Amino acid sequence: MLVNEARQVLSRASSLVGRHQLRSITNGTAQLDQQAQPKEAKEPQIKKFEIYRWNPDNAGEKPYMQTYEVNLRECGPMVLDALIKIKNEMDPTLTFRRSCREGICGSCAMNIGGTNTLACISKIDTNASKSLKVYPLPHMYVVRDLVPDMNNFYEQYRNIQPWLQRKDEAGEQKGKAQYLQSVEDRSKLDGLYECILCACCSTSCPSYWWNPEKYLGPAVLMQAYRWIIDSRDENSAERLGKLRDPFSVYRCHTIMNCTRTCPKGLNPGRAIAEIKKLLSGLASKPAPKMETAALHK
Amino acid sequence: MSMSLVMRGALRCNAANLVKSARITPLNAYSTIVANSQRQALVKPLALAKNVTPVSLMSAPCRMASSSSSHTALWTLERFVSAGLLAVIPAAFLAPSQVLDALMAISVVIHTHWGVEAMVVDYLRPQVVGNVVSKGAHAALIVLSVATLGGLFYFIKNDVGLANGIKRFWAIKGKDSSQQN
Repeated sequence: MLVNEARQVLSRASSLVGRHQLRSITNGTAQLDQQAQPKEAKEPQIKKFEIYRWNPDNAGEKPYMQTYEVNLRECGPMVLDALIKIKNEMDPTLTFRRSCREGICGSCAMNIGGTNTLACISKIDTNASKSLKVYPLPHMYVVRDLVPDMNNFYEQYRNIQPWLQRKDEAGEQKGKAQYLQSVEDRSKLDGLYECILCACCSTSCPSYWWNPEKYLGPAVLMQAYRWIIDSRDENSAERLGKLRDPFSVYRCHTIMNCTRTCPKGLNPGRAIAEIKKLLSGLASKPAPKMETAALHK
Repeated sequence: MSMSLVMRGALRCNAANLVKSARITPLNAYSTIVANSQRQALVKPLALAKNVTPVSLMSAPCRMASSSSSHTALWTLERFVSAGLLAVIPAAFLAPSQVLDALMAISVVIHTHWGVEAMVVDYLRPQVVGNVVSKGAHAALIVLSVATLGGLFYFIKNDVGLANGIKRFWAIKGKDSSQQN
């Protein structure tokens, strides 16, 4: 008992010391900063954010744009920083999705200044004379403010069965051994597997706006292609068979908004073109360079 | 009212899903199907209930593919016609003949037809303009394309031909030039 208490006290004391040291260091740098630029007075740099607001609880209320004024001197560089600042300091009712704040989760996809992108990796335009307009992803049902209803999108993703499928389920015991894939075959997945399903591309596509129930959209189609072209997947023919109807793939008119808007720099338009080539028989999936199930024998 | 609509939509959706999953995977364990429908029932109405205004439009997709027909052959034909235009049009102008004129007329008209058809499908959807207008627009497009092709054929058969006819536009001289000559 006593020993434990003593240990706790000691650890507290040491952490206190550490904290004091830290504080003195940070204070020091702050003072240095102030000394370095005493002339440049920190006059506030006010940027206007016009943000789409809609609350389903206020029955009959139309969506409207609400303007917030943010001092960029007291705000991080990204749009998400400004949104969080607004939510923390001005209006706690502002609703949006966010999670990783570094462009890997895809939660904060929204329409910023007319472009679908991730709020966390899009820099605030520091030109304070222009206001920045923030809308939810276009042509999606809005749950509230900047939160779109992603159910249809996820349902479509589920529909393409995004997992590895093998013919010989009985002979290859799952988890017993790896499936082999040559470096060359693996490189075919580059530019496909990086997709974070933020739906920026699908919601920038006019074809997806007009037929969201029947056309799968660029994000889902790129993932469909990712599994079709995987050398370890043996269900390519069945996967392609499900895409032959006039709408699933063929509503793509190569408008290429998807590729233009992708915040991860991927090319869904190319993936859809590859699917069309595979469907028409103008191209075919190459045989795997290595025997994929070799380790299972 | 809206809640009952929501519930009805969810029920319809689940029924369709049950049928679908039963059809696609007859060997699926009953438990999987039940689990699926339960998940649907859990997820869908929750999301739907939040969107109060557009309830009637909010039925979640129970059916992903619009039809079972294959569009692949048509798409491939469209590509070949598009590529063929690059050869047919210059050929028809370099060596004007009735056969090449007819070929150009057919390929240009069908190419345009497919392009406009895509616009009709995208912008005159039954959900937006109603079934009558949508179907009517399709029919009108077919009539227009057939009439255009017929007119061009008539011109090719009974007049100077398509390529020669277009070439004549360049032979037109304005008033000023005729006075000078």
